[in-house]
Amino acid sequence: MSTKTRGIDFSKLSLKDALDLAILVEEEAEERYVELAHQMEIHRTEEAAAFFRFMAINEKKHGSELSERRKKLFGDAPREVRRTMIFDIEAPDYDEARAQMSPHEALTVAMSSEKKAYEFFVAALPHLSDPEVRSLFEELRQEEIHHQELVAKELAKVPATKDALGDAFEDEPLAL
Amino acid sequence: MGAELPVVFDPKDYKSDLKPIWCPGCGDFGVLQAMYRALASVGRPPHEIAFVSGIGCSSRIPGYTTAYGFNSVHGRALPIAQGIKIANPDLLVLVAGGDGDGFSIGGGHLPHAIRRNLDLTYIVMDNQIYGLTKGQLSPTSPLHLKTVTSPHGAMEAPVNPLLYVLAYGAPFVAQGTPADMAGLAQIIEDAIRYPGFAFVNVQSPCVTFGQDDWQVKQHRAAMKTLESLGHNSTDLLSAMDKARSYGSELYTGILYKNPNPAPTYDAMVRERQQALTTGSPSPARILDGFLQK
Ligand SMILES: Cc1ncc(C[n+]2csc(CCOP(=O)(O)OP(=O)(O)O)c2C)c(N)n1
Ligand code: SF4
Repeated sequence: MSTKTRGIDFSKLSLKDALDLAILVEEEAEERYVELAHQMEIHRTEEAAAFFRFMAINEKKHGSELSERRKKLFGDAPREVRRTMIFDIEAPDYDEARAQMSPHEALTVAMSSEKKAYEFFVAALPHLSDPEVRSLFEELRQEEIHHQELVAKELAKVPATKDALGDAFEDEPLAL
Repeated sequence: MGAELPVVFDPKDYKSDLKPIWCPGCGDFGVLQAMYRALASVGRPPHEIAFVSGIGCSSRIPGYTTAYGFNSVHGRALPIAQGIKIANPDLLVLVAGGDGDGFSIGGGHLPHAIRRNLDLTYIVMDNQIYGLTKGQLSPTSPLHLKTVTSPHGAMEAPVNPLLYVLAYGAPFVAQGTPADMAGLAQIIEDAIRYPGFAFVNVQSPCVTFGQDDWQVKQHRAAMKTLESLGHNSTDLLSAMDKARSYGSELYTGILYKNPNPAPTYDAMVRERQQALTTGSPSPARILDGFLQK
């Protein structure tokens, strides 16, 4: 867990903090998908870009739902958990992206991010002491399983091609 | 009125509207993200930060932040940053660039920046290759590496940046990788907070021209945090011993942190200026004198 968070004591996490953490996780993922979409666009990888934009919209939706819940329960009470405390919990790792990646590869990136998020919630569970926080984390863990199923369905529909342009970069000089 | 609430910065406050044009998968993306987090934790507003770089893919980094940026001349980031710091010591000055920028064309500036000990943070994105110019040998390329300029393999042993800066007396020396962004953000934050010349070597793989077997994935498997090894970062000899493994081990964290920071050059300049100007006529009076003549 230590490489994913900084300065969060899970044993002392309140429901408000846990909701804020979950909102930030979605926000981080949304931003990363937007970044990846942009990376794909400037490298003319349109299909992967469109998929990453779609994922960004999904993450935003999840974030908004959580924000509404938080607002209902805690109003405008100040946030204690900050973005500086979380690192790539559901956001795809930068090194997963490649120029000219195929739709199948883009979906695989999303799949590993959903798995990563699932693993994060699983790893956090034993450290939680507040029962409300525990049930929220269990719910979030279940959601990640649901997302994995959705991505798996899409993955089954697209051919497992490697990259969008095949050998287009064969003439590029690489460190051999 | 009640006391003013402290301003809390978000990593987004340091992110500019300019979109990175690096190759997807480039290690520099993770370094940039770690920098945003570190800057938000330090909490200096963007207008109090000057970010200087040389030329290279990695040197594009100041443009991706909301700090004052100077994407300068290949190899000359350090002298420019030193000038800025001396002229305005209140600025937080960051310097960034590649291994080519810092250890070949700019290599001559490094010992002098270290011995002057200005309060700067120098972050090198060490990808062991010239990325921007499409994959030539760099000073940190491993022996035998085949590139466009070494089709039969490199014949020169690489520079060891960690040992080099330690030998010149750098008071803060650390190494990180985007494979551990939380660790990297912490290292950069500690480097910024250190009162003196702080050097951070970030192993930041080039996905397009770099070594296939030394990418972020391999870093994840190979990295060893100095903390987990019980390393004492105040022990210079132990730091040098660890630094010798550059190229064979990936140690991350603070190698060396001088527990007794020496006075910085910028502070000494300020002191001397104050001493020399005490009792002397004000600049306005001097100007008046000229105008009256
Ligand atoms: C005076 C001068 N010499 C050479 C160059 C060409 N040049 C631009 S970037 C670069 C090296 C890039 O490698 P590095 O500094 O390691 O940065 P990276 O692109 O790998 O991040 C070179 C040789 C230049 N721009 N100016
Ligand atoms: S050429 Fe290498 S260093 Fe430059 S942006 Fe691409 S991956 Fe990064």
